[in-house]
Amino acid sequence: MDAKIKDLIEQAQDRYLKSDELDLLDGYVKSLPERLTLYKLLRDREIEILQKVADRAEIELSKTDTADIESGIKNLILVMRYCAMGMLLNDENFLKQRLLRWLEQIMALKEMRQINDVLYKLLNQILRQELSTHQLSLIQPLITTAQVTLIY
Amino acid sequence: MISVADLLQDNQIPANYYGYDAYIKGDLELGLLESRRGDRLIAVPDTLIQALYEGLEQETGQASRLVLFNCGKWWGKNFYTRFSEEISDYYGKPLAELDMILFLQCLKECWLTHGWGRIEFDPTYQNQGFLMIKTYQSPYSKKLAKPRPSCFMEAGILTSFFSRLTGRDLLAIQISCESMGSDCNRFVIALEDRLAIVDSSIEEGLDYESIMTSLLS
Repeated sequence: MDAKIKDLIEQAQDRYLKSDELDLLDGYVKSLPERLTLYKLLRDREIEILQKVADRAEIELSKTDTADIESGIKNLILVMRYCAMGMLLNDENFLKQRLLRWLEQIMALKEMRQINDVLYKLLNQILRQELSTHQLSLIQPLITTAQVTLIY
Repeated sequence: MISVADLLQDNQIPANYYGYDAYIKGDLELGLLESRRGDRLIAVPDTLIQALYEGLEQETGQASRLVLFNCGKWWGKNFYTRFSEEISDYYGKPLAELDMILFLQCLKECWLTHGWGRIEFDPTYQNQGFLMIKTYQSPYSKKLAKPRPSCFMEAGILTSFFSRLTGRDLLAIQISCESMGSDCNRFVIALEDRLAIVDSSIEEGLDYESIMTSLLS
């Protein structure tokens, strides 16, 4: 749940919510079926999507140690799982606080930048083929946040 | 060829074990705050730490430092055990096989999530055989009647922790302290006989840079 809705819940002890505040909640609830559909799609096709990334990454990063690419893929699996949950909850902070702060520090020390650069480029290409425009608009902002945090 | 299915064999990919949201659990109905593994945690009020310092100072005078240091050592021994069990269970390998970056990152997150402030490892003097640990916003940094570094319990916990980790008898001595206006608390860790001069340097009121210079000369 995004921060605005969390704030509204905190208001419960003081007052009833105003109509426009309830609209915010209503909007989120109405978007849930789509979010759930996308979540299930990402869950059920996790291996298939990431295998495509891995196959292409091996070609593009032919000079890189396979163990390093594997480590990058593992982190990408994690990022996708947290992105999917963040999308379901409509909460970017879930991804930032629980995962990115941690990965950022590990990656910075390991110099994974070049590998991540390729992996995220490939992931974005593949998701563009696999998801509808609307689905993409739900998950893309989270992936971009991860990409920006881990690469730049 | 990389197989994602193989990478996901046990389905769980370890991330941040000590993430605050995931680590601190509680059954408040039972009156318990617990770690994610079910070990009991308690929140200690700052005033209790202050009271410990003052009470011990009053009852035992100068010996209070040693008492607090020894409490820290005892705590560190158990902390090491808990830390290494948690980490080896979670990552599926013994602490000794964990890569250095991951190990340090786990220690930092563990420290942070327990509310002990930030901890950093400073490798500057590593090649000369001295480990330097820095802590920030330590709850144990308290202004003493006669100004001197005051994180005695932290020095104790670091002494035990790094002795156990390395399998050698190391000693941690604090050489700068937030309570004296320093930017952080610095602890120099080495074999005991290499730190023989540090105590008298602290009594003389030398700063950490001078102490390090004399240790290295």
